[in-house]
Amino acid sequence: MSRAHSHLLWLGLLADAFGFESMFLQFWRIRERVLDLIEMTAGHRVIPSVNIVGGVRRDINAEQKKMVLDALPVIRKECEDLIKVVVNDYTVKSRTTGVGVLTKEQAFLLGCVGPVLRASGVREDVRLTKYDAYGDLSFEPVVETAGDCYARALVRARELLHSIDLQIEALSKLPEGEIAIKVRGNPPANEAIMRTEAPRGELFYYAKGNGTRNLERMKIRTPTFNNLPSLLVMLPGNQLPDVPVIVLSIDPCICCMER
Amino acid sequence: MPFMLPTILKNLFTGYATRLYPVQVREPFENARGHITFNEDKCIMCGACAQRCPSVAITVEKKKNILTFYPLRCLVCEVCVHVCPSDAIDLIYKWRSPLDHKPIELYKSVRLEHIRESTEEAKQEVPEERD
Repeated sequence: MSRAHSHLLWLGLLADAFGFESMFLQFWRIRERVLDLIEMTAGHRVIPSVNIVGGVRRDINAEQKKMVLDALPVIRKECEDLIKVVVNDYTVKSRTTGVGVLTKEQAFLLGCVGPVLRASGVREDVRLTKYDAYGDLSFEPVVETAGDCYARALVRARELLHSIDLQIEALSKLPEGEIAIKVRGNPPANEAIMRTEAPRGELFYYAKGNGTRNLERMKIRTPTFNNLPSLLVMLPGNQLPDVPVIVLSIDPCICCMER
Repeated sequence: MPFMLPTILKNLFTGYATRLYPVQVREPFENARGHITFNEDKCIMCGACAQRCPSVAITVEKKKNILTFYPLRCLVCEVCVHVCPSDAIDLIYKWRSPLDHKPIELYKSVRLEHIRESTEEAKQEVPEERD
């Protein structure tokens, strides 16, 4: 659901970057309804704060499950209508096709992750490692080959629809049982690495404990850190009005990167 | 533009997507995390909430019997609610109303004050008896 609202936000911002204000507001209107669903189940709009060591803090009851399952197909239908505009519209195509091209080799060498890498034709997604429940879901990564801003928009648009499908599938397969186990004691003197697929790409966590209450080292590498160098290849030779579109096409989050 | 036309026409004949906010307020969800309140009758000034708070919104001075809460720093992450040994922190589902200043809320522990008073009385009483 986070991916759905993040991609809706991005598609809106893309429309805003080349001055398509009405599409920007339409995407954000749908996003507001996704955020309402998150608030209804988790309590907060953007940062749900439900994950704890050992599980999650809140469970979904039958009534909430029914409301989410009723709302998601309607949201999907509305998204489909708007994505038709992104895919077919002349204005969108003329501003994004052939702009900021990143070839497969360049994307791979610069260490890009997430939709930027997949738009360049590399079939790479951490969800393919089947962490958590992704092994039980019919997940298929979205890949485009063109590597320009239009391809990145298409990847995110199709991922948005796919993520809504995955939500419906996951909710209908949701098992009953305990939502969290009690974790006692301090973190052991050891290291751990975890990779997950955030909406913007691969998110990397490193933690090192030393047997006391506090961790000795904690490192978070966000996807923007990997995607930012690709701008060096994409930006030269473009006109100034295309710069916002290209910078936005990697979905930068500088405040997340700086840690 | 022609692909946008159906959406535009549909929007012309449907209602507003936004609300006239201060006049018309959406009722918060039952599960929403609005804000937290402290119960002075139950608090024992142990300081567990202040230790765990990720945004340093709570400070506890046990000697002075003062708990300081900075509401605008609070993320309403619910950690303090779960960690409190005496269930003195409650989660309210309603949002705080908008403010034009940064408020600071001060709380004291009724129990701790009660114990203090009784011990002070005892201290005062003891020397009198000896005299």
